Amino acid sequence: MSLDAIPIHVVNPTPGESALTGNAPPLLRELAEQVRRLLETGEPSAIDLSALPLTPADLDWLRDRLGSGEIAVTLQANGESTLNETACPGVWWVTHHNEQGAVTSQFIEVAFVPELVKAHPQDVAIGLEQLELSLSGL
Amino acid sequence: MPGPLIESLARQGITRRTFLKYCATLASMMALPPSAGRAMAEAMAAARRPSVIWLPFQECTGCTESITRSHSPTIEGMIFDMISLDYQETLMAAAGHQAEAARLDAMQDNAGKYLLIVDGSVPLGLDGAYSCIGGRSNVEMLKEAAQGAAAIVAVGTCAAFGGIPKANPNPTGAVPVSDIVKDRPIVNIPGCPPIPVVMTGVLAHYLTFGSLPELDDKGRPKAFFGETIHDRCYRRPFYDRGKFAKTFDDEGARNGWCLFELGCKGPVTHNACATAKWNGGTSWPVESGHGCLGCSEPDFWDAGGFYKALSVPADPLRIAGVAAAAGAAVGVGLSFANRAKKGAAKKAHQPVTLADLEKS
Ligand code: SF4
Ligand code: SF4
Repeated sequence: MSLDAIPIHVVNPTPGESALTGNAPPLLRELAEQVRRLLETGEPSAIDLSALPLTPADLDWLRDRLGSGEIAVTLQANGESTLNETACPGVWWVTHHNEQGAVTSQFIEVAFVPELVKAHPQDVAIGLEQLELSLSGL
Repeated sequence: MPGPLIESLARQGITRRTFLKYCATLASMMALPPSAGRAMAEAMAAARRPSVIWLPFQECTGCTESITRSHSPTIEGMIFDMISLDYQETLMAAAGHQAEAARLDAMQDNAGKYLLIVDGSVPLGLDGAYSCIGGRSNVEMLKEAAQGAAAIVAVGTCAAFGGIPKANPNPTGAVPVSDIVKDRPIVNIPGCPPIPVVMTGVLAHYLTFGSLPELDDKGRPKAFFGETIHDRCYRRPFYDRGKFAKTFDDEGARNGWCLFELGCKGPVTHNACATAKWNGGTSWPVESGHGCLGCSEPDFWDAGGFYKALSVPADPLRIAGVAAAAGAAVGVGLSFANRAKKGAAKKAHQPVTLADLEKS
């Protein structure tokens, strides 16, 4: 049976329906404050985008304003995560996906390097052990 | 096995970054500030695993299914690494006397410190004889296990509020855990079944902060049950504009309009479906075209019909009152009338329509 036999037709939302809510511009102001704090004290911070009432149009608007920078990091850990620097250095757009590809959470991070990108000393130590092991076999 | 969590995770190939990512998402779902994700990761990575005893009473095992078969076994499975699950009938290898011995050992070794998880309601009729394990009634086992518990987590609507076993006329005299245990902290995680991440979130909170999360007046964690389905529903703009689907296949239904008139209980139901969704974030009931049943509220089964529109919209505490009234006055009569109608329809090979079910 072809799917056409099922008498359901998909109606896409009319353009303009998911308009801007006006919630995005204050976020930019908050970001500026956070970047200033990063510069002055070195303290990183983040904004949880799923915690805010933002429409897809709001998110597009934000992304547009922030632009894209030089670095794009992809992390494969139980689904893909992308940590992309925006045109404003120190501001990162972070999106976590699950294994099915659905977005599970989304943040704007303000940091010189996002925490997730850095290697943890304990893990580095384990790596060193492995290196030494392979050296001993030479 | 003892030792910090991060080591047992590493042994299973779960990297530190995977764990950090998981905590970030969990913190976001619990409406904690982003910095809490890292604090949680650090605290949990170093935490020793608390002993957990899980008692199944009058239940269908759907709650266990929900949690163990969730989309991403490695991640939700982490809860089984975060805790030392010393007794869980469905999952444990031991059976019979061995299993009961394991329970008693765990209760003795960790007296005063273990976490007690309960799914299912507790029948009190016939001295509790309706549900027994190893010849002992549920109520007896609950009282015994509660004594040494640091806290109790009532998983699912049955353990939290009595659920379907308690539905009118409640033949077994089913009651929720909180009717029996009065002197221990109890967290209710209702839902039929409950959303896996809510369960994990509560455990993560307990491991991170050593305490239970903040609860609402029905004993539910506010982080997940603080808002109604209606508050977070993506069909809400249609509700606000008065655009309602009238049947399940009309123009409005195809356009994705609000399901209020088809009986959606979203306005009086506190749960996290609309944001956490089901099946790994694939979809949730309202998104697949059916109204909310109100499964995380007390007596949802007797709340007057799944396809009957709420009489008063958007008054959160309404459902309990409606349920009580319907249950006492017309509940039984209604269900018999409907059964007769269904039988008649079957004879005539007629499909039962919504109108048939709702006319009383
Ligand atoms: S009534 Fe139901 S479908 Fe309509 S907006 Fe509320 S939760 Fe969504
Ligand atoms: S939509 Fe409503 S009935 Fe369905 S699972 Fe969620 S809370 Fe329960």
